[in-house]
Amino acid sequence: MKLRKKLLAAMLSAGILFTGCGGDNAGGGTSKGGDPNVLKVGVTNFADTLEPTQNYFGWVVMRYGLGECLTKFDEKMNIQPWLAENWSVSDDRLTWTFKIRDNVKFSNGDALTADAVKQSIERAFAKNTRAATFFEYSSITADGQNLIIQTKKPLPGMPGYLADPLFIIVDVAAENGRDFSKEGPICTGPYTVESFVKERAVMKRNENYWAGEVPYQTVEIPSIDDPNTRAMALQAGDVDVAVNIAAGDIDIFKNNDKFHIDEISSLRVVLARLNQNPDHILSDAKVRAALIAGCDRETYNDVLLKGTFIPGKAPVPPSLDYGFAQLTDPNAYNPERAKQLLTEAGWTDSNNDGILDKDGRNLTLDFVVYNSRAELPLYAEAVQADLKKLGFDIKINTVDYNLIDNMGIKGEYDLLISNITTANTGDPEIFLSWYWKTNVDGNNPQNGSGYSNPEYDAKLEQLSMEFDKDARRNLIIELQQILLNDGAALFFGYPQTNIINAKYVDGVKMYPSDYYWITNLIKPAK
Amino acid sequence: MGEVEKLNRLANRLLQMLITLIGVSFLTFCLAYLAPGDPVAMLLESADTIVSEEVLEKTRAELGLDKPFLVQYGNWVVGILHGDMGMSYSAKKPVFEKLSEGFVGTVLLALVTIIFVLIISLPLGIWSAVNQNKWQDYLVRVLSFIGVSMPNFWLGLILLYIFGLKLGWFPIASSTVTLQGIILPAITLAIYQSTKYVRQVRTVILDELHQDYVIGARARGLSESAILWKHILPNAVLPLITLLGMSIGWLLGGVAVIEIVFSWPGIGNMAVRAIMMRDYPLIEGFVLWIAVAYMFINFLVDLSYSYLDPKLRKGI
Repeated sequence: MKLRKKLLAAMLSAGILFTGCGGDNAGGGTSKGGDPNVLKVGVTNFADTLEPTQNYFGWVVMRYGLGECLTKFDEKMNIQPWLAENWSVSDDRLTWTFKIRDNVKFSNGDALTADAVKQSIERAFAKNTRAATFFEYSSITADGQNLIIQTKKPLPGMPGYLADPLFIIVDVAAENGRDFSKEGPICTGPYTVESFVKERAVMKRNENYWAGEVPYQTVEIPSIDDPNTRAMALQAGDVDVAVNIAAGDIDIFKNNDKFHIDEISSLRVVLARLNQNPDHILSDAKVRAALIAGCDRETYNDVLLKGTFIPGKAPVPPSLDYGFAQLTDPNAYNPERAKQLLTEAGWTDSNNDGILDKDGRNLTLDFVVYNSRAELPLYAEAVQADLKKLGFDIKINTVDYNLIDNMGIKGEYDLLISNITTANTGDPEIFLSWYWKTNVDGNNPQNGSGYSNPEYDAKLEQLSMEFDKDARRNLIIELQQILLNDGAALFFGYPQTNIINAKYVDGVKMYPSDYYWITNLIKPAK
Repeated sequence: MGEVEKLNRLANRLLQMLITLIGVSFLTFCLAYLAPGDPVAMLLESADTIVSEEVLEKTRAELGLDKPFLVQYGNWVVGILHGDMGMSYSAKKPVFEKLSEGFVGTVLLALVTIIFVLIISLPLGIWSAVNQNKWQDYLVRVLSFIGVSMPNFWLGLILLYIFGLKLGWFPIASSTVTLQGIILPAITLAIYQSTKYVRQVRTVILDELHQDYVIGARARGLSESAILWKHILPNAVLPLITLLGMSIGWLLGGVAVIEIVFSWPGIGNMAVRAIMMRDYPLIEGFVLWIAVAYMFINFLVDLSYSYLDPKLRKGI
């Protein structure tokens, strides 16, 4: 009898799952363990070691509250001082001086000097070829607390480059006798490593922390790769904070006053490159404009993707302060205009088969998609359905992610989808030149779309030499407007990212740059 | 069997294993190499960031990926002969170290699962067979049909929801190897596996039930339970052991989906990531592990045959 009752209870519980009325155990003042000195954060971790110069593992070193850089990004991706309290550049734009804070100590108690910073940056260059893609220096010298970097060419983005986790400042002197990859490097962040394996990290308070109180004695960080499991762990109180809860689960927390959600637009954009090389149908600006105007992007993002993406318009997401609101999209959703443009371009349905044609050629386009990200096939199918109404015949070609790069370079597509980070260094210059700067004899191979506009190239050139922040911002806005006017690409949307916490924890915040998860601002709520 | 003959058979067996290992490793290397995609691009663009061709080239050279295919394979073989399985590109760790991290979790999960499989499927299979075409039989068959059609990640999530979130009996994300954390993933796997075993046990027992020796035993007036336990079961064990061996082999290869759902540190999730990242040394290491595990289990199964079957033992 008892067994039957239990079975019944189990079946009822399963029923609740499908009606979406899940309960939670996160009601108390602390997590399940009940220790207010312990914070538990559910994440997904890709790093096998904590050596910041290996692969992208530095991201994790920073996310876990262990490592810090000279500079960091704020909520709008503006550069802010961190271990450097200020900086300046010489008149010839080749010498940068960073003043290192006086009061900072490494977690082992050693003082942070400009010389220690110099050694750390040189170490990053010696250990990872990626460092040289940010900047190349002729010399780095330490003068008291001043770090002086001489670059080979003027680099307006320098302070942003030093915010990349590859340049986390580590105590190189402590490397003797300590395996950074296994035991974690000695850094300046609020927490230090107690134990680390990929699946679970335990951090402890850095008693020498320089920027205020460190609220928790211990931070446990289990890596929970499955998004459903991560959401359940937060509901059950197994973790106090969870990073990136999936679209399907977020409503459970939205309608529950025991949880706080911080959701923002990330630095990513999902876009379709449009092949404008001669002989391609999309080389006709009117057809491109019709294609873009025929796609109801608001519905794709608000309905199909349940608002987890912000509807697309421009290349740079609204999380960055580059004029998103003031940019105008001449090809905003307008199916009537799209039809008219196609007619003007000479496309008609001469054989009444529902597909437009011109000079014996059907309006058939090859849309290359990969499906390792769930939203990409959805966008592609939505575009296919919307454009069919206008007489387009969109053939979706799903390929392995591995092939995308090469197909992009060779231009083997009409439309090609990508989900890409626009401004890792706080500035979209590289992104804007990567896809749309004119490719002259293969000098910009990533622009396989054939897009070319001399005005755009000239402004990009100007941008690469411009140091004034406002002037850069204006140039970037102008560049985006040119792309929009030319119908250079189809910008679908910008994924949102989130961090959710039980309300007995305070100070949890998600930043666009995705590096700053665990900080000393996270503390028990009063 | 003479000692010399035994030694000969053992040497033969070892030679076969060696040839298999060489074949498997070469084929895997070929397939990984031929599969579209570039490990360096996967590695450097894994954060969807923009990386120049120059950096890609430099990294290719650092990892030795700019060399011809046969040279790469040759280097790998030379490494193996020196006991070095190489470095994983994506984990930046020696392959052996990376494999051994998931080893304990995978082996423990496999063993506990097999224990649950036996506990569930043996009684149900026998119960179903001895009650052939009665309601008990139909019930077991319907249950096994449902079980085999249910995706195991879905079952895992349901079990997590009920026993982890609602009842709070088990941790939701173990992330480390613990006794409490192993129960739910093992049960999920065992339910899925048992649905197949129940039918196999049922078939084997039914086959035996119709053998002449059973009729003879009944004629001699033996009780049904004595016939079942003393005569039928020992005869039914051999085909079941073969099946069990294959299942253990499968489980030792790791079960990525279950490992991800339950945050269980095992080898399966690692292998899937290795393939996605085109991490050749790690893929090779994983495949070698699977091959050795299968061969070892097969070897044990063969040994158990000669122990359990007097006909084989005596060379009849």
